[in-house]
Order: sequence, then structure tokens, then C-alpha cells
Amino acid sequence: MELVLKGFGEVVKTVTFRVRRYDPEKKEMPKYMEYKVPVQRGMTVLDGVLYIKEHLDPSLAARYSCRMGICGSCAMIINGKERLACQTQILELNKDLIKVDPLGNYDTVKDLVPDLNKLFKNHESVKPYIVREEAEPYGEYIQLPEEREKYALFTECIMCGACLSACPTMATDDLYLGPQALAQAYRYIADSRDAGFNERLNLLDSKHGVWRCHFAGACSEVCPKGVDPALAIQLLRGVLSKNVFIKYKQNPAKLGPERASIKEVL
Amino acid sequence: MRESKIMLLQYLTGLFILVLGTFHMLLLSVLAPTSNKVLYQYASTNHTLIGGTLYYSTVTAIYHTLLWGSIFELLLTFLVFHIFNGFRIILSEQFPGAKAEKVITYSMLILGLVIFIWGSRTIVLMLLQGGI
Repeated sequence: MELVLKGFGEVVKTVTFRVRRYDPEKKEMPKYMEYKVPVQRGMTVLDGVLYIKEHLDPSLAARYSCRMGICGSCAMIINGKERLACQTQILELNKDLIKVDPLGNYDTVKDLVPDLNKLFKNHESVKPYIVREEAEPYGEYIQLPEEREKYALFTECIMCGACLSACPTMATDDLYLGPQALAQAYRYIADSRDAGFNERLNLLDSKHGVWRCHFAGACSEVCPKGVDPALAIQLLRGVLSKNVFIKYKQNPAKLGPERASIKEVL
Repeated sequence: MRESKIMLLQYLTGLFILVLGTFHMLLLSVLAPTSNKVLYQYASTNHTLIGGTLYYSTVTAIYHTLLWGSIFELLLTFLVFHIFNGFRIILSEQFPGAKAEKVITYSMLILGLVIFIWGSRTIVLMLLQGGI
């Protein structure tokens, strides 16, 4: 039986897209251009942008990949708020005019494509991986479900960069680590298997580290995955405060039985 | 000094300022050393100021006591640290970079010291001599 969705595929209304255009190579000031986009039910802002690219102006640049809110490539400022374009339904915005800007606090590669190097470098600097003393693990790291709960929320980050765009400290302080990197630092410090607290300490406890957050909470407000980086930063402050007068020693989880012995059992 | 130590001091001084600042303000009302607790007391016949909490001799009388002198000195210490460290943080965010931060840190340190010495001089002179 063929399933027919009422109104699906029909043009419901026409919406004006006001898109910020900027090409650094042309050495022109950024400008806004308007495009009329026929909207169907279920159409996302990313679909609208791609409609413009395919039918109205092929020179428009935008970054996207999965179209299902997993890769985080299509984060942009839509009607003044950082969102994933692929997860934002045009009709749900309930506006006749949709203003689309690239993410803020980044340089722009072209049009709606931000240069995310800052995000990736900051992320890399906090060692976003489990640090251990042994060079090579010989077995599994044992972790209880309740131990995983401590950082589970912060594993959801898809590195879309929306939090850095919304962060007011990022707007003034170029050297600030930013909510994404700080949340990921907490994610690994809170991990019972990790032993890298002291390795991350100098960076986190620096003049542009965890203490520069003003707790505006904009990062958590815009995060499309509900990661809540502001909470991670406050928890990180708690960890640093508790260990302010002592040299903190992080005791990592013990290694489980050797893999070879497990194979024998299986 | 690690930033976490500085920030812990920042928060603690903020808390102490709130407590000591409350005492400072209460000197105008509940803790005022005057019987009727009014700020200004005028003569009944004309408009001459003759007393009140903000009357010069009432104010200096407060400074003569070691307890209040110590409280004001503590309040000054906490205020100077809190204010100039706050300025350092704000300016470091506005002008990030190793060289700029060094200039900002030392400028705030010197300015803070100057204000602290000047304020302490006032408190000590009031305590010892009863006036400046």
C-alpha cells in the first residue's frame, strides 16, 4: 500500500533567505543577498541553502555532509541563533524571512563556511584521549556503569563549533580555550580510566583556561546535542578548586585480565 | 601563582568584602555611635550641623578604635586585591598575549600597591593622630 503524506511535496509557502556572502579572495566587504525559496513540508534550512545553490546562485558556499545531525558540518547562525541547518525545519521557524550567517568568532573561508582551525587546535591541546602510564594496554580497562555516567553527557559532542560561536569570552579573548575544549577536557578527566589530569593542568589552569568562563551559558543554550559545556566548565572548576593546594594524583582504573586469558576462556 | 589560587582568592575576597562592607554600611544605621542614628543633626534654632552619624567628629571617633581601624584595613586589603585582579582579568581578555599580559599584571600590581599604601596611610593616621 502506498503511503501518502498530506501536503508532502507541495510548496507550502515562499520564504526569503537573507544570506551573508563573503569571499576573502575578492577583498570586498561582506554583504547580504536575498533569495526566494519555495518551501515544502519537511524542508530544512540546509535544503533551502542547497536549493539556492542548485537553482539560484551556484557560487554560494556552504559546508555539509551527513544531513542528519551527526557530523556537525552544517552549523550556522540561523535567525540569530547557532543551529544545525540540517536539523532546523523552515516551517518550524515560522518566519517569512530567514537570516543565515556563518558561525561567529571564526574567520570565514567563504560565505557560510567558517574556518574551524581554532576549534580543532584547542580541542587537540587538551589531549582529548585517555592518558595512561603504560605504553601498551595488555587487557581491558575496567569501568563501572556509574563511573561512565559521570562523563557520559560530554561524549555527545560532534564538534560542530556552535558553542565557540555563541561564547562571549571567545569574542574578546583569542587565546581562550573555549567551551568545546574545556568540556572535552572534563570528559577525559572525569573518566575513571584516565590518568592525564596533571598533563592537562597547565593549560586548564592558565590565564586563558577554565577561569575565564563568565558562565553566560550561551554554549549550552545552542548546543544541538545538549552537551552542556557550561556545566562541564563548572565541574572542572570544582576539580581544580579541590586540588588547589595539593598536587593532584589521578588514580586510573586497573587493567582487567590479559586478553590472551580471555581468549582462552572463550 | 596558579590561576586557580588567584581565582580562589578573588572569590574569597569578594565574600569578605560583602561581609565587611555590610558592617561598614551598618555604621550609618544600626551600629552608628550616635543615640538617635540620624545621618545629619541640625540645631533647632538655625541650620547649623551639630551632630549625626556623618558628622566629622563622629566619623573620626570611629577610626580611633583599633577594632574598626583593623576592619577598615582588612576591607581595604580585600578591595584592592579584588578590584585590581578583576581589572587584570578584564584587560587580559581584551588584550591577550604574553607581552601585553606582563604589562597588565605589573601595572595592576603597582597601581594596587599605591592605592593600598595611600589608603593604609589614611587609616593609620586617623587611628594614631585622630585626623589627616
